[in-house]
Amino acid sequence: MPVWQRILEDISDPNFVIISAAEDTGGEAVAGPIFDAANPTYVQVVDENHIISSAFHFVNVPSAAWVNEEGRIVRIDEGTYAKLHEIGDGDQKFQFGTDAYAPAVKDWAAKGAASEYVQPPDAVTGNIRELSADQKRADAAFVLGNLFRQHGRKEKAERYWNLARSLNPDSINFFRQNLTLSEEGSAGETFLKLRDEYVRQGKDYYRPLDLK
Amino acid sequence: MAYPELRHPFDETPIHAEGQTTVLYQGNTIRLDETGSGDGLLIRPEDLSRVNGFELKPEGACYEAMCIPLNDRFFVERDGRQWFDLIAFADLLEQPYVADEEDRVWSFGEIPAKRESMMVDAMAPDFEVTDRQGNVVRMSDFRGRKALIVTWSSW
Repeated sequence: MPVWQRILEDISDPNFVIISAAEDTGGEAVAGPIFDAANPTYVQVVDENHIISSAFHFVNVPSAAWVNEEGRIVRIDEGTYAKLHEIGDGDQKFQFGTDAYAPAVKDWAAKGAASEYVQPPDAVTGNIRELSADQKRADAAFVLGNLFRQHGRKEKAERYWNLARSLNPDSINFFRQNLTLSEEGSAGETFLKLRDEYVRQGKDYYRPLDLK
Repeated sequence: MAYPELRHPFDETPIHAEGQTTVLYQGNTIRLDETGSGDGLLIRPEDLSRVNGFELKPEGACYEAMCIPLNDRFFVERDGRQWFDLIAFADLLEQPYVADEEDRVWSFGEIPAKRESMMVDAMAPDFEVTDRQGNVVRMSDFRGRKALIVTWSSW
């Protein structure tokens, strides 16, 4: 999160905004401290119902959309890490993200439509995921589960979360959201198995960044 | 990350007052004091705009520039009153929904026609969320500026 704040400060343009949405059913309790640590001045949303992911057809985090002054999307749905991250050591070292994304954002902020990173509408629409009727229904099921959770109705919360997952098995968001509220957590064996299976089926865990 | 203690931290509370029905749509929770009896979801015609933004006009149900012509099947006489058949309307619009009829809660997904402009000409979908300061935030608030929308999570 501090990286996004630095990007915002580097760009320093009142006509450029960042809307950062934590897709966290755990709510302010889990997302709030992470936001606070960044001392952000950008728009911060704790999106317990994953409304923004639903709107843009995102299935994983981090994901992003670039929206221009006319309200048109000019890039969308990429694994959006603001910098290269490394975790682990030696053989266990794992890298993700890239240092190429932040300069691309800055280029767009400065040059607008002339930025080489702006994509034409047909490329953008080609990158928006088509959702089946079941996948669209999954969002409604997830929100229903969250309502029951908020009212202490465990059995029904679990029922509708499971329904959401079964209706949209491609949603990493639903899957990991469920895991993060479990003893195992979101990065354990169950997650690794899912990720491996996802990749084995030829699906993009993250759609590759198309940055020159 | 693991937050098992946050899986179900809430005490059981009523979802709505007795006799009410709850509709979930676009992050909003709408409580309806009156609905028609029987299966499905029959709402008072005047509640339609609260539920999904559509206004009933002589030319049909209208949202911004879009008007959906309606015939008599959307208006149901029951218990001596006229109701609007919200499920028939959702089906017409191919709007997804999941219902828990036992608790009288209906959760609606997005109306595909409202998303057409994203799939056809890449116009950003409007959404409405509340930020951490309690302000309502809509995509349309950022017209005239470049907006980077980033999703992330604690997990």
